[in-house]
Amino acid sequence: MIDTLTYTSVPGPRGEREVTVYALSTCGFCKRALAFLEAKGIAYRYVYMDQIPLEHKNEAKRELKERFKVDIAFPFAVVDGSEHLVGFIEADWVRSLGL
Amino acid sequence: MAPKTAEQTALFATMVARKQGWALNPDADFTQSLVEGLTTNWNRYGYFLCPCRDSDGSAEADADVVCPCAPSWKDVEERGHCYCALYLAPGFAAAGKEPQSIPDRRHQIPRRKA
Repeated sequence: MIDTLTYTSVPGPRGEREVTVYALSTCGFCKRALAFLEAKGIAYRYVYMDQIPLEHKNEAKRELKERFKVDIAFPFAVVDGSEHLVGFIEADWVRSLGL
Repeated sequence: MAPKTAEQTALFATMVARKQGWALNPDADFTQSLVEGLTTNWNRYGYFLCPCRDSDGSAEADADVVCPCAPSWKDVEERGHCYCALYLAPGFAAAGKEPQSIPDRRHQIPRRKA
């Protein structure tokens, strides 16, 4: 399911990492996370999980939980397909993205 | 369920904060985005689902994360702010600290009966 979701791509001059953000359109920390990526010039893609059908969202969360062995909360970021970040703590994002 | 405006939601949040002895997040832009998120959720689901949590699909399933969510009291007391950071402990707000995402203790406490 996570491979078939419709993502919005945001271009940026720094595209060396593959960054995907699962977010809620209503969430302040999600907005902060997306603004942080834009401010750092990082190319990324995102999907608002509250704007997709419930069954798709639940299946995507199940897949993410199974892959990363954590409870899914938002924002949830996947870096290079293997690293994950739960929530937005700027220092963690800086470290994971090598900024 | 009659739709709500952001102004009505802001009044709701102000009343909650006053009743609980909490402060609203002094970051006006951040708070406004949460108020808009709560308004969206009211108009989408019919209740003030926490803007930083996704719906499990029913009012019964979401009962513990309707604003102010069940973990709020403990989060404000122990971490200085609620999960979405709309409500802050007065001391946290006065110190000018910046809220950050905190772990969701939703699944660590008993669910409220719907």
